[in-house]
Amino acid sequence: MADKNLRFLVVDDFSTMRRIVRNLLKELGFTNVDEAEDGQVALHKLKTQHFDFIVSDWNMPNMTGIELLRAVRADAQLKHLPFLMITAEAKRENIIEAATAGASGYIVKPFTAATLEEKMNKIFQNLNK
Amino acid sequence: MGMYAQIGQMTRKLHDTLRELGYDKSLERVADAIPDAKDRLGYIATLTANAAERVLNATDIAKPIQDDLQARADQLNQRWELLYANKLSTEEFKTLAQDTRAYLALVPKQTDATSNQLLEIVMAQDFQDLTGQVIKKVMEMVKTLESELLTVLIEYLPAERKLELNTELLNGPVVNPDGRTDVVTNQQQVDDLLDSLGF
Repeated sequence: MADKNLRFLVVDDFSTMRRIVRNLLKELGFTNVDEAEDGQVALHKLKTQHFDFIVSDWNMPNMTGIELLRAVRADAQLKHLPFLMITAEAKRENIIEAATAGASGYIVKPFTAATLEEKMNKIFQNLNK
Repeated sequence: MGMYAQIGQMTRKLHDTLRELGYDKSLERVADAIPDAKDRLGYIATLTANAAERVLNATDIAKPIQDDLQARADQLNQRWELLYANKLSTEEFKTLAQDTRAYLALVPKQTDATSNQLLEIVMAQDFQDLTGQVIKKVMEMVKTLESELLTVLIEYLPAERKLELNTELLNGPVVNPDGRTDVVTNQQQVDDLLDSLGF
């Protein structure tokens, strides 16, 4: 199982959604969580602080989740970071776009705690390969 | 003639024609209804945000209470196990009995506190009734707007109007997936799609 001290960055423009994800992560044993309200704030935090895992929404002002994902994958320091997309965007195009850009997982809202756990476990398994 | 001047003339002509045909009144109704709809939608956003906040606050309060009850019960249980394994002295047994009694007195207080939070969660759902009514009103309004605008549009659009496909990637939640093949409707379909592409 993954290290419980892993540091998470939860990126969403809705504070309730950030709180829900934070609570779910806590249920899974991860308490080291920081938040950002859009891609721009997230990217700044990622470049100035240490993180191990990114959970991000897609549709956000200033910088969207897909733009954040591309910026992360283009940055030598950050490109290895697991990036889980949690979004209401449900078009096939969106899912393919995210996968091609290098998303580690894709969850459609509304989602359950079980789905989050399953996707995270899958990501951790792939990391250990 | 410059493009802007041309657009200006077209606008003028459209405006005059609309007035002649009496459509200016229906457009006026449309323009009046939009701020009202914005207010109503703003109201829904506020109410639902408050409800989410209330529920999350309630669980933040209740969760530690539950965790504490569980931790104390686990701890007492372990000590009772020791007693039945004959590993406690008479003194230790006395303390255990006292602690257990204190715990039993504490439980109803804690469950009361949790019950209050559960009730708070129930009460936070009262937005559903209010937003439901407002949403119904907005839907009626949208329906009226749609038919008024359609009347005007049908009058002015060229016959071979092409339906433009929406290829934007920022659409928000799919409100009505019926008959659409370009969207997924659950997590399984996301997983299947990614699997089929080898991701």
